Amino acid sequence: MEYITITTGFLIILAGLWAIMTRKNIIRIIIGFSLFDTGIHIVMVSMAYVKGGVAPILDKNELLTDTANKIVDPVPQALVLTAIVIGLGVTALMLAYAMKLHSEKKSLDIESFKDLKW
Amino acid sequence: MTIAKLGYTLLGLFIVWNWGFLMGATFRKIGARLAGRYGIPFYQPWINFFKNIGVRTTITHGVMYYLGPVFRLTGGIGLFFFMPMVFTGDPNGHWTNFSFEGDLILILYFQLFGMLGMALGAGEGGHPYSAMGIARGLAQHAAVELPLTLAFLSIAIQYDTFSVYKIVEAQQGGFQNWVLFTNPFASAAIILAMLGAMGHSPFNLVKAPNEILIGPATEYEGTYLGFMQSAGSILHVMEAVLFMNLVFGGATSWAELIVKTFLIYFWSVFVGMVFPRFKIEQSITWFFKVPLVLGVLAIIVFSF
Amino acid sequence: MISPIHILTIGLGGAFALGFVPKKAKDAAAVIMLAAIALMGVLTGSWLIGLINGDSAQQVFTAGFKPPFSINLLMGLNEGALTTAVNFIGLLGGIYLYKYLKEAGNHAIMVFLIFIMGLNVVIMTRDIFNLFVFLEIVSIATAGLVILTETGKAVQAGFKYMLATGVISGVLLIGIIFAYYYSGTLNIDGLTQAHIGALRGGSVALLMIMVSILLELKTFPANGWGLDVYEGANAGIGAMLSAATATGMYYVLYKLLVMAGPEWNYWIALIGAVSFIGSNVLALKQRSAQRLLGYSSIGQIGLLMIILGFKDILGDNTPYVAFGILFSHYFAKAGLFWLAGIVKQSDIANWAVIRKKPYFLFLMGTFIFALIGFPPFPSFFAKWELVMELVNTGNLPWVVAILFGSMMEAVYLFRWFGYAIKGENENIEDFKIEWNKILPVGIVAIALYVTGYFTAQHTEAGAAINWIPLFFVAAIFILDFLPVFVKNTIAIIGMALYFYNIYPDLDNMRLVFEAIFMIGGILTLIAGYAYKGKRTGFYPVALLMYAGLTAIIEAQTTLQFFFGWELMTAGSYFLIIRGKRSMPHGLSYMLFSVGGAYALLIGLGMAFAGQDSLGMEIINTISYLPYWAYGLLIVGFLTKTAALGLHIWLPGAHGEAESDVSPMVSAILLKAGVFGIVLTLIGMGGESNSYPWLPYALGWLGAITAFSGNLMAVFQEDAKRLLAYSSIGQLGYIVLGMAMMTHLGWLGGFSYVVNHFLYKAVLFLTIGAVVLRVKTHNMYEMGGLIKRMPLAFIAVMIGIIALSGVPPLSGFAGKWLFYNAILEKGWYLQGAIMFFSGGIAFMYLWRLIHTVFLGQLKDNHRNVKEISIWFLIPIYLLLAGIMVYSVKPQWVLQPLGDMIAQWFPDGQLTWDGGTAFTKYGHWAGTAVAVTIIVAFLVVLALLLISTRKAHKVKQFDITYSGERPERPETTHVAYNVFEGLYKAMWIATIPLVETWWNKVTDFLHDTADIVRRIYNGNGQTYIIHIVLFIIVTYFVIIGG
Repeated sequence: MEYITITTGFLIILAGLWAIMTRKNIIRIIIGFSLFDTGIHIVMVSMAYVKGGVAPILDKNELLTDTANKIVDPVPQALVLTAIVIGLGVTALMLAYAMKLHSEKKSLDIESFKDLKW
Repeated sequence: MTIAKLGYTLLGLFIVWNWGFLMGATFRKIGARLAGRYGIPFYQPWINFFKNIGVRTTITHGVMYYLGPVFRLTGGIGLFFFMPMVFTGDPNGHWTNFSFEGDLILILYFQLFGMLGMALGAGEGGHPYSAMGIARGLAQHAAVELPLTLAFLSIAIQYDTFSVYKIVEAQQGGFQNWVLFTNPFASAAIILAMLGAMGHSPFNLVKAPNEILIGPATEYEGTYLGFMQSAGSILHVMEAVLFMNLVFGGATSWAELIVKTFLIYFWSVFVGMVFPRFKIEQSITWFFKVPLVLGVLAIIVFSF
Repeated sequence: MISPIHILTIGLGGAFALGFVPKKAKDAAAVIMLAAIALMGVLTGSWLIGLINGDSAQQVFTAGFKPPFSINLLMGLNEGALTTAVNFIGLLGGIYLYKYLKEAGNHAIMVFLIFIMGLNVVIMTRDIFNLFVFLEIVSIATAGLVILTETGKAVQAGFKYMLATGVISGVLLIGIIFAYYYSGTLNIDGLTQAHIGALRGGSVALLMIMVSILLELKTFPANGWGLDVYEGANAGIGAMLSAATATGMYYVLYKLLVMAGPEWNYWIALIGAVSFIGSNVLALKQRSAQRLLGYSSIGQIGLLMIILGFKDILGDNTPYVAFGILFSHYFAKAGLFWLAGIVKQSDIANWAVIRKKPYFLFLMGTFIFALIGFPPFPSFFAKWELVMELVNTGNLPWVVAILFGSMMEAVYLFRWFGYAIKGENENIEDFKIEWNKILPVGIVAIALYVTGYFTAQHTEAGAAINWIPLFFVAAIFILDFLPVFVKNTIAIIGMALYFYNIYPDLDNMRLVFEAIFMIGGILTLIAGYAYKGKRTGFYPVALLMYAGLTAIIEAQTTLQFFFGWELMTAGSYFLIIRGKRSMPHGLSYMLFSVGGAYALLIGLGMAFAGQDSLGMEIINTISYLPYWAYGLLIVGFLTKTAALGLHIWLPGAHGEAESDVSPMVSAILLKAGVFGIVLTLIGMGGESNSYPWLPYALGWLGAITAFSGNLMAVFQEDAKRLLAYSSIGQLGYIVLGMAMMTHLGWLGGFSYVVNHFLYKAVLFLTIGAVVLRVKTHNMYEMGGLIKRMPLAFIAVMIGIIALSGVPPLSGFAGKWLFYNAILEKGWYLQGAIMFFSGGIAFMYLWRLIHTVFLGQLKDNHRNVKEISIWFLIPIYLLLAGIMVYSVKPQWVLQPLGDMIAQWFPDGQLTWDGGTAFTKYGHWAGTAVAVTIIVAFLVVLALLLISTRKAHKVKQFDITYSGERPERPETTHVAYNVFEGLYKAMWIATIPLVETWWNKVTDFLHDTADIVRRIYNGNGQTYIIHIVLFIIVTYFVIIGG
């Protein structure tokens, strides 16, 4: 079970990368980037998974029992929240770029934005 | 440096001056006879000389022009001073002039003194032929210098000295001691390169008659020309004396000196009678062939 | 002390506060931003001061937890310095961008503030996830700035930047989470303790973290996105990226490298070297200023990565070296980017416009010299320390790689600078300056000098550097508005006083050279009185060269020597490039100088190997690869003496220089190389030298140099080039003489050193002065000038007689000594080549005097005046020197001989009064001179008597093929006079050396042009580069 999520995560990462590297349309590239990001988030969460674990919410009773050793690591979950927020910000900014690029050349083909090179 | 020494030196200079004139006349006479003409009388150079210094009008193009012949004649006289003439066994003997045992390097470089002054003087004259003659002369001189330097160095290595006097001294005691036989490569290089140094055909580029009149001297006449003729005659003899001292055992008496310089001089005359004038590039490349190889051989033989 | 966490408070608080500022109140918003940045700077600055004074570093933990459950910041000495630096440059950058940000509105102002704040945290954080977050903040802020303020190309670049940083931070994130998974902590210290790289699976996590940081640093070749932003973005933003972001990222790499462990050091150094060399080579083909700066930035970061990789070897010196390079780069790159924004010219050729405002040229020069690592900038000392340490620890290949990269950087930076100094600028519109833009540039320029001074004080050898000459140069620079007459007088008095003060402290050998440098300097400066107006910029650079020259003489340590050497190079470069058509020659001079200096640097490094001091005496006892060390030193010095193969800069540089500069660089400056060779040869042990092949090779090189220099001189039509080639030949003689390593050889060499100084100064001064009058260098356009300039003619005549070695003048001393030395040493063939060269020299000397002064006077020169009295004074003083030397050679040669005897006691001249004896012969200089003079006077008297009234005739009173010439041009034999010689010897005039160097440069440029096409401008390609970079580093480092 744990391997399913992590494998899926990596597959999504690769799919996203593939889209970034091969799609010519900027919007598709941005979607690719979103996929890439999402894949990473899935990998992050799955890393914290403990077989048969419980949510990392502790109260007095549970501290007395062995539950503390069974809880899922809360840190990656905290991290993934931050990462999602940042990913959102980046995606939004990319879309803003896409708009501005389109308004200048009336095109969303990444090949048409090669004015700077060498 | 006594008065007597000065007297002997000036006497020697006088002899050399006359001997140079006579050799010059002989050369022209031979040339005329070969061409089927009668030629000049043997005293013609003296006539030329006295006529030249006797002319009543002279011109000048400026100070440097005026000094040109002075440089030239000083060059000739100085060369005479610095050259030991007749070997007497005494390095300060009567006929060693003010040579201080005759430093070969001094002699080599002092030759340039007259050339330089002459070149400058003629330059101010502004005649194109002067400049052409000098340019040719300098180029050829450099080319001649290469095998000559190698040969001179070889002789210096051989005797471990730059003193002309000592080189002559070492060659005494029979012709088998002459550099000609003890150092054949250097001698061969010198004998060939000497043709260029003497400046007769095929190497008479500087004065090249028919082309550039008489080259540097074109604008000079009168006393100037007289001085230059004198310098020329002295320099001719001194060239021959230098080669005599270095290769042919020097001279122990004036008679020997006269004979040897005559023969050396006529080596170049004979060659000149046979071969027509080279172009400048032909002349230069000629010295870079056989004479240069001989010079290098002379060095190699003595560096091991 | 306020907690560093309040940087966040200030940054975020400021940004929030900006949200409340009305949209119209743009000035208020900008001021708030600047105030916030200044406040952060005060905070970090006070920490820095405290930490320097011994306060202990502070860790800040958020929310009261310990790691891994909290993020924490560290404020230590490094952090203090770097955050202060970031805030400082942020403040300056904010001021620079003031109007620009104001126009873009409050949002942009906010973003800029957040950008600076983010960098502060990036530097301070000890938590890798926190690092990720703030890296993203910085990236987003950068991209945000671009999109808020720019249009067109910049937006394209910004999008590529976003894509790339997005992918890179994704990789970083995966690495972070895996690192956490395997180690259970996010804290850098915790990860260090856990030896993350050694854990199972941890090595891959570590690789991903490290690679993403490397990519963020825009490591070559996966850096097209970075280059595009550098080129496309506003120069102010480029400056921030290059100075602030790169500084922060570099520190991140430093922190993470501690975590990664020592086995990563090598890889970082290797990747750094590839990046340094790669981007500097590719930059060779750049024409766009900002993109060129981008390449240079990436290269500099590569260099810094090498330093980081060697931190274990550099030990305690690491911060010194790293900060030295980092701060030079930080100030200089910011300054250059800002200048680019002021000048607003993309093509580097159009930067010629910058000199319409000369002080801007000064600023640009400051930055470029700081980048290359010239003194007195921090990078000079850092590079010195780096090379010393690396050589000392046997890392020679690395040193070679570093110096090769630096060399490439010098090529394009100096080409650019050359355009700025000398390019065509008439049709380019002048640029406007605004106070807020010029202020930051000025501040960073001053900061470079100040930090340089303090960097020097940090080491013992550096603290011993004598700064007085440099302060004098600075004073003259400040007084540059004064007229020539005043400045010249100050300069002469200054040099005279200085010389008077130091000469008692010098040994004889140094005194000889110092006298040539200083007395020669004063004499050539006298000629400067002939110039009118201000002569802007001349005096600072001339004095800079002399300051360098005297520094190499006074040097007690190798560092001081190298310091002086580089100052001299810089000064002489500026002097040379002042000439009219000197742009390409200035460049090649500089490049050969830089290359030579690097050879010296390695050589001096090898000398230092295994020693505990930097004293000059260490070159006497080189034990580490001594053959190579001495060889490199000699090659380094030979670039200055213009030995064959390293000479191609000289003819143009000396030929095109100004009239009084040519003698400075030819008669005086070249002796610096000779001084170096003398030191090296003494170091090799003098008479008992145990490296026989080096002098042997040097001897042949000298002979062949003499030959080719002289032969090339013969075929010149340009009088000054003729003299320049002549200098090459003459220096060949000197090198040959020194290489003989015998008493006579050295005496001959030193005799030439003194002589060449005297007559080459005379010739160059005279010809230079003539050129000022007749306005041409071409000899065939002159002629007959003896009539107009008799004093100049006499000077040249004496000069050429002395040079040619005709007795009785001083040149003959050298010839005579050489013949004796050659015979003694047994180098007959070399000697023969040299004497043959002497014969060739005669040709060009005659040509010089004949075509200029003799022959036919041209119509347009009929009214030229005698050369300036200010030139005549030094010329005739020098002539007096030649005359004294000629008549009393023992006055010069005896002391020289005594001096040389300390290294070469055998085979000395013996003197008897004025007569010198060797075992081969003797030479009585005075007697010969007297004999010749007497004979001359007698003959002259005879001639005077017999031509009492010589009739003065006119110019055309000559008979010429039956016509009377009237045009001087058709009668003056001057053009191509040695045609016959050329036909015979053309094969020796084929410029093989020049062809070779051209081939080398063409090869490098072609390579650069082909390789740089990988940056095809497509954002997707850049992502592919990034992915490939990750894969390749994975296989290389982890292994497949």
